[in-house]
Amino acid sequence: MDGYDQRNDRAEGALNCPDCRQELQDYLDGTLDKKRSLGVFLHLRECAACRVEHDALHAVFMRLDTLPELEAPADFDAAVLASVPYAAYRAMEPLRRERVPVFLEDHFLPAWMRARVTRAGGLIAAAGATGAWLAGPGQAWLLVVAAAGAAPEILLRLQWVGRRLVGVRRAEG
Amino acid sequence: MFDRHQDLKTIRRCKRGEEAAFAEILARYRGPIYNLCHRMTRNPEDARDLSQEVFIKVFRLLDRYDEEFAFSSWLFRIATNHCIDHLRRNRMRFLSLEGVTGPDGEEFELQIPHGGPEPDTVLERKEAVQRLEEVIADLPPHYRAITLLRHQQQLSYDEIAEVLQLPLGTVKARIHRARAQIQQMLEARAYDI
Repeated sequence: MDGYDQRNDRAEGALNCPDCRQELQDYLDGTLDKKRSLGVFLHLRECAACRVEHDALHAVFMRLDTLPELEAPADFDAAVLASVPYAAYRAMEPLRRERVPVFLEDHFLPAWMRARVTRAGGLIAAAGATGAWLAGPGQAWLLVVAAAGAAPEILLRLQWVGRRLVGVRRAEG
Repeated sequence: MFDRHQDLKTIRRCKRGEEAAFAEILARYRGPIYNLCHRMTRNPEDARDLSQEVFIKVFRLLDRYDEEFAFSSWLFRIATNHCIDHLRRNRMRFLSLEGVTGPDGEEFELQIPHGGPEPDTVLERKEAVQRLEEVIADLPPHYRAITLLRHQQQLSYDEIAEVLQLPLGTVKARIHRARAQIQQMLEARAYDI
């Protein structure tokens, strides 16, 4: 404890030497709150021994912060890139492709619903039913037929839009 | 210090198989990682090999990178662990006593005080930076890593906690102890920096 000047804790609330030295690193780091920082500052103004300690530590901080940058060897990147198995990585790309929610996957809908025949037939039925509903007295069952006929195509389109939205959101991060 | 958003975009391009994207990552982090490895090992050949291995390892582990955390933190974690593993494998290089436990129960190495400058390196040690590098190199590996992350890479305490996956309090305590050891070693060796 040589050099500690215990007389400096005479004022109420003022730091004593051990406390000041305890706080020195945080003080130099700038992580002390204002009150503590002011306490250290005032103590350092009064105490020569702690000031010496502060200056020595400050010199270490300065030197550590200004260690010179070292240059990597000139062939550094080439050596790394030559060792990176890009071809194999690219070949496995489909396995790494980011997944979408299961209800947006193609196979979530049954195969018969995804079949072109079903979709085309459904659309024709929907168009016919809608036309009949508009031309006739407005029977409700025609609207049900129209909705059922258009459903496969609408569901597939909604899945496609959903997948695109997920992709856009991921790309934007 | 490092642009987290930019890194994330580049990493996603890497994952899609763009070779140029990984070259960008290399260009961005080559310096910091090489410097960290160099100051951890104090040997240019080891530093080159270790830092190149770090990047190759990062590439192989890209799919495991958790985008919740900064890429730089993940990269520094891999580099720090890689260097510490290397130093452990080459313990003979250090004059250390193992198994000594500190006040917080954490194991560290006791360094045997240096006997004084070797005649053929007297000139070299006149340089303050080299003195400091020598002292840093004599710190136990965990203290060395934390000192370099704080002072050379200018990472905040929070960032270091993320890199080393340690509680903030432990990070602070280790940095404080590392600096105190640096100061003690400088004094013990009568090195004026």
